[in-house]
Amino acid sequence: MRNAIVVDLDRCIGCFGCEISCKMENNVALGEYWNKVIIEGPHGTFPDVEEYWLPTMCQQCENSPCTHVCPTGASYRNEDGVVLIDKSVCIGCKYCMMACPYGVRNWNKEQNVVEKCTLCQHLTSQGKEPACVHNCPGEARFYGDLDDPNSDPSRLIAESAPEDVHHLKNVGNNPSTAYILSSRFGTWRNGD
Amino acid sequence: MEIAWSLVLFTALTGCGGWLFAGVAIDEFAKKTSKANFTAGIVALVLMIVGGVASVTHLAHPENMLAALNHPTSGIFIEAVLVGIASAFIIVYLVAYNRNETVRRVCAVAGAVVGVALSFMAGHSYLMDAVYTWNTMLLPLAYLGTAAASGLSAYALVAAIRHNETTPADLKIAFILLAVGGVAAALTSLLYLTGVMDAADLMLVAVGAVAVGGIVPLACGIAGLKAANSALVLSVVATACALIGAICLRCAMWMAYVPLENFFGIAL
Repeated sequence: MRNAIVVDLDRCIGCFGCEISCKMENNVALGEYWNKVIIEGPHGTFPDVEEYWLPTMCQQCENSPCTHVCPTGASYRNEDGVVLIDKSVCIGCKYCMMACPYGVRNWNKEQNVVEKCTLCQHLTSQGKEPACVHNCPGEARFYGDLDDPNSDPSRLIAESAPEDVHHLKNVGNNPSTAYILSSRFGTWRNGD
Repeated sequence: MEIAWSLVLFTALTGCGGWLFAGVAIDEFAKKTSKANFTAGIVALVLMIVGGVASVTHLAHPENMLAALNHPTSGIFIEAVLVGIASAFIIVYLVAYNRNETVRRVCAVAGAVVGVALSFMAGHSYLMDAVYTWNTMLLPLAYLGTAAASGLSAYALVAAIRHNETTPADLKIAFILLAVGGVAAALTSLLYLTGVMDAADLMLVAVGAVAVGGIVPLACGIAGLKAANSALVLSVVATACALIGAICLRCAMWMAYVPLENFFGIAL
């Protein structure tokens, strides 16, 4: 099982709704993030310019560096293959934040612990969608098991041209999250 | 990235302690500065303990530290275990000092091996694909080299203090080791920093690591061979400079932090 989010950047309108709904659902403090939209661009010279929005969050790496370096096992992979943090045993060494290739872990200043996107486990365990997926007005976000060919994200990847399916830079961590971006909307600039 | 002073002190002090005890182990067989060995063992133990305490100060929740026993592959776990084992060997060495020569020698060698390994592993823990400027074997080698200079300088200092009434020739090996440590610090620091020296603000700490931390101890070691009457002054200067160099090298590592990506823009 490989639960993850796939984002169709061709449909993303850059409304930041995923970022806001994540903050509201998970009570993420001002200035802190579990999900952040990066504006990639503008690139080029007028009139040949392009830009896309890149929603970033834990990429649910198959070979997750964060769980390898965590000294206490606070960063762990649950039985469904989801990388999570048990804040009750986090010692606050920030080692996992250094090891994360994308800098998508958050330091909770109030609790002095590391936290990150949980794929809204409190919702998905009840059969619901993560808040960012549920609230995306462009219907650009898809949640499900990438090992299940009938899941929403698997179908999206299968329906997309292979050259339009992208991942963030892979340094051996094998990020599960995929981004769909076709060349008519923009040139992928964030990795593989 | 901010300099993690707790970790700078942890790695510099425990590395110094490990290599100081390596000086003890060498003399257990060379038998030139034996009077220094008990004192040097105590100093090495103190350095291990103070360094270990310094590392804990950067944790937000040290009360959860025992959970580390559940995850033995982490670099932090390995460092903690090496500090514990090295300290245990040093304590047994001190207890056996006037009782059993075989136990003493075995513990000296074993403690030295673990202590030296600790100085390398303390740098090895930072090897991660996510950070370009850390992900090179030159980093742990620089940790090892700078620790060698500070530890062997400290051994020469203890030897100079404890052997002030003996012939200068007895200090020869201690000062040769000091010079070797200086060469190791200068070379390994230079090799690592050459690869990450893009930022101009690294120049000061680079000079500190290579020149102050390596070349000065080397010069002191050579001078000590010729002017043994100045052994105490030279070893004081060498130890101070080697520690400054070790700290500079570690500060440079933190200042040179370049992550693969930092999408959330969090300053660590």
